[in-house]
Amino acid sequence: MSGTADPCDAIVVGAGPSGAVAATELVRAGLSVTVIEQGDWVLADAFDGARPQWELTQLRKWHPNPNVRGRPEDYPVDVAASDVNPLMFAGVGGAALIYGAHWMRFMPSDFRVRTLDGVADDWPFAYDDLAPFYAYVEEAMGVSGLDGNTAYPDGAPCPLPALPIGKVGRKAALGMNRLGWHWWPGSNAIPSRAYRNLQPCVLRGTCGTGCSDGAKATPDRTHWPGAIDDGVRLLTNARVAEVTVDSHDRATGVVWIDRDGQRHHQPAGIVILCANGIGTPRTLMMSNDGAGIANRSGMVGRRLMMHPFAAVMGTFDEDLESWVGPAGQILTSMQFYETDLSRGFVRGAKWNCMPAGGPQSFRAGYGDGPLTDAWGANLHERVRRKFGRSFEWGIVGEDLPDTENRIALSASLTDTSGLPAPEIHYTVSDNTRKMLDFHTARAVEAMEAAGAVETAITPLIRDCGWHLMGTAVMGDDPETSVVDENGRCHDVPNLYVMDGSVFPTSSGMNPTATIMAVAARSVLALIENRREVEVAA
Amino acid sequence: MSHALTDAERERLATLADLMVPGGQGMPSAGDIDLANGPAEEVLHIDPTRLAGVQRFLALEGMVETLADVEALAQKDADGFADLGVVVANAYFMDAAVRQAIGYPGQEARDASIGLTDEDRALLQPVIDRGAIHR
Repeated sequence: MSGTADPCDAIVVGAGPSGAVAATELVRAGLSVTVIEQGDWVLADAFDGARPQWELTQLRKWHPNPNVRGRPEDYPVDVAASDVNPLMFAGVGGAALIYGAHWMRFMPSDFRVRTLDGVADDWPFAYDDLAPFYAYVEEAMGVSGLDGNTAYPDGAPCPLPALPIGKVGRKAALGMNRLGWHWWPGSNAIPSRAYRNLQPCVLRGTCGTGCSDGAKATPDRTHWPGAIDDGVRLLTNARVAEVTVDSHDRATGVVWIDRDGQRHHQPAGIVILCANGIGTPRTLMMSNDGAGIANRSGMVGRRLMMHPFAAVMGTFDEDLESWVGPAGQILTSMQFYETDLSRGFVRGAKWNCMPAGGPQSFRAGYGDGPLTDAWGANLHERVRRKFGRSFEWGIVGEDLPDTENRIALSASLTDTSGLPAPEIHYTVSDNTRKMLDFHTARAVEAMEAAGAVETAITPLIRDCGWHLMGTAVMGDDPETSVVDENGRCHDVPNLYVMDGSVFPTSSGMNPTATIMAVAARSVLALIENRREVEVAA
Repeated sequence: MSHALTDAERERLATLADLMVPGGQGMPSAGDIDLANGPAEEVLHIDPTRLAGVQRFLALEGMVETLADVEALAQKDADGFADLGVVVANAYFMDAAVRQAIGYPGQEARDASIGLTDEDRALLQPVIDRGAIHR
């Protein structure tokens, strides 16, 4: 150990969306806060959206899979036993730096799946309890959208007007209207106007590879500058190895490792883990010399949910300029979100209408079919037929918790600091497969109703594990859950989890809105009750 | 910018690329844009992780006169061909003349503040008229 720093009131591990919310509120409340982030700052100019190579660099440099990206700040993930690859990004802003900024509140039914559908577990609180916290974080993120969404009891209001839906959105809406199905202009954490530290969106359509225009709501722009001004100490290129605890099972701080391999101890009264649904349980498991902490229930690392994703591409016989953003979601649909047992599965999925990207999206030269299909004269024919004329309905299906879907620590694979890599054990359930089959069939109908001359189904995309949830589940019972409804560990009273790990269920929604809202609810409860938090001597 | 590929490798790449990307249908061929030189070198400069696979594939021996010949080589080294495909396709579609030929201005900046149009709102009215769908 190269040294022990001065103690602080609170440590936040991870500088992504949940860590940003936690640190911002804690420092405003007068606590001294140290944030430890394994990645670095990424400035807008680093992203290639405005450069011709943007489709090239998304294949490696900005790929969401850490195993493909292979940066020193990434930890590798053993996916040999998983149907889906988990996706993430290490940096100030976390995976939001390369997210699509799809901003979706969970539906009211998502919090009551046991009561309504007899599966999984209800949440300890309801939609109405969380609604004020949604509004709070939406105001910070500058969410754009149209009030009055008929899928929500309160219409899911947004602080900024909706982004344009363009030719693609109008074409998709036409098909949905012909079928009498629900759709709504997309809600996105992308400002349609200049907003605080965010530039106005320019519809470049490269959101998923990082916004080169500073126009996507990411915590490096929405939260960290203000938090640092308020006194947060943010350490980058700093990888947490373990949470330290005393003999009374109280957290005393964390050990972190710098890029030179030096170990440091940061003491603190409170430790908050915000390292995502893989990184947080990994940290808990690595603590106490690898024996793990906070795991009386045996649920640390279990119930991993990753939202298997499918898509339907439709091709039309007219120019739709389908490389234009946002990307981002242009439209959403919740027509088939709720349970209908006649379909043969429980729960449902949210659809998002997306543009199709640049010309590379229509070149299939990676060995799935004969080269003569992908190259030669067919290359030109394919591009001419599809480029600018295609768009996608993406399908995010609710992934129900299963204790056998879990992470463990690898016995052989390590990161660049020598720490054990996570090993993913994950099987797509029969319920999910039936759900995706049903939804892709409906999405084909939607495309055909819109006039598509060709459709193509992608039944399950392996690189789709954007949404990492459930691995430190919240609940009232310490025998069956890891944290209470405010993210406080049952077994370590001054250790908190405030990321998607705490989710009892996944919903069928992109989770960032709920991750940030739950983090806000948790941290404000912590601040209110901080005098009662039992800290180490 | 120094060359990542040797003269012999670039010559082999040019042969392969012209089979993979022939001219016609109003589109330039790989040779028309001199893909094996400047464009491919630029791609390898931006993403040097592709170089080893490309070089390995280019070193495969065998007569290459048709696309079927390329396919036969790809059976011997699928990973190397995948890297070659990335380099050829990106070098081609990053070229300004190619983009112009397919009517692609690139990921250009546009004004998002126009928001929803009257046409968009009219399309949405039936959804509003059907009322709430939440449970």
